[in-house]
Amino acid sequence: MHELSIALAMADELARIAGENNSGKVLHVTLKIGSLSGIVADSLRFAFDAVKLENPLLSSAEVTIEEIPLVYQCGDCRKTFSSDDMYFPTCPQCESVALKIVSGEEQHIANVELEV
Amino acid sequence: MCNTCGCDQKESKTVAVHQSLLKANEETAADNRRHFEEKGIFAVNLISSPGSGKTTLLEKTIDVLKDEISIGVLEGDIETELDAERIRAKGVPAVQLTTGGACHLESSLIHKGFHSLEHQLEGKKLDILFIENVGNLVCPSFFDLGEQVRVVLISVPEGHDKPLKYPKAIRTSQVLVLSKCDLIDHFDFDIDKTKQDALAMNPLLKIYVTSATTGEGIDQWVEFLRSKLTSGFKESRGEGGE
Ligand SMILES: Nc1nc2c(ncn2[C@@H]2O[C@H](COP(=O)(O)OP(=O)(O)OP(=O)(O)O)[C@@H](O)[C@H]2O)c(=O)[nH]1
Ligand SMILES: [Mg+2]
Ligand SMILES: [Zn+2]
Ligand SMILES: [Zn+2]
Ligand SMILES: [Zn+2]
Ligand SMILES: [Zn+2]
Repeated sequence: MHELSIALAMADELARIAGENNSGKVLHVTLKIGSLSGIVADSLRFAFDAVKLENPLLSSAEVTIEEIPLVYQCGDCRKTFSSDDMYFPTCPQCESVALKIVSGEEQHIANVELEV
Repeated sequence: MCNTCGCDQKESKTVAVHQSLLKANEETAADNRRHFEEKGIFAVNLISSPGSGKTTLLEKTIDVLKDEISIGVLEGDIETELDAERIRAKGVPAVQLTTGGACHLESSLIHKGFHSLEHQLEGKKLDILFIENVGNLVCPSFFDLGEQVRVVLISVPEGHDKPLKYPKAIRTSQVLVLSKCDLIDHFDFDIDKTKQDALAMNPLLKIYVTSATTGEGIDQWVEFLRSKLTSGFKESRGEGGE
């Protein structure tokens, strides 16, 4: 499960962010995870719940995951549309396959609530 | 915040960070990349499932290029020195990076490994650095190491459904090597379909069909490396030079 590797990296980032803000406790973290990121939100949550117990700074941190859908923009007619198709998407308006990914690749920490 | 309502709860504040979950790895990878470019080293990260033929491809590549250019190898594995020993047997300096359990390499380990490789080189300049990642088609696609080119191998016995099952590996690589093509008659593997699926996800992907056994496709793959060393790579280096 690669989400464990991600959860370990996430724990390090949260500890660093807490340190930079002189906080002794992370209360809440909001993540943005795109559907194309390859990260399964539930698996990441599960992995982080195990990892956080190792560090008192993180042990009570709650996690909210915003799942970001895959959105394309058509290079020909400029239409922006969301689609579940990560393999062979086509523009619903003009059937072009020259598409650019607008969102869906996110693997981000959006914000962190810290005790101060 | 709580000053406003007067309660005596511990105060909290929310900081907007908008950063990658893997920020630390990405920063060190960027350092590595700068390091390699300053030294004129072309760095290649090879990823694949266990046993797809990464070390064998490196052995064949070394046979062809060894007298032409200076090669160094970082070998990633969970345990053992075996792959580094195979490379050293070819007369090429290699450092074994054992992750002790982790199923992928991270950029900080590459930084350390590169320094110990430099030590072995005793001042000799390196033209190309191959990094063989831990055999795993999932995690390595999340971790930038600072390479200029990521190469993903899929071998014929693994089946042609692999690009669709491992989209991140395909989308984050610049080269796909379809290895062990000498076995094509023994497996139901559709090379054209594999290429089509991979290109649909990554239209700029370069694809080489190779066999270490018969030597098929090795020349084309080596020619790609040569072209990177002589043209594209040095041009891109020139831009950032002093
Ligand atoms: N038939 C055939 N066998 C190959 C070819 N390339 C590699 N092999 C065999 O496949 C097996 C694994 O090859 P390796 O090069 O060790 O694979 P690897 O990807 O480095 O493996 P790990 O480092 O363990 O992930 C060996 O038995 C090789 O001899 C090929 O082109 N054709
Ligand atoms: Mg190997
Ligand atoms: Zn994994
Ligand atoms: Zn369109
Ligand atoms: Zn209050
Ligand atoms: Zn250094």
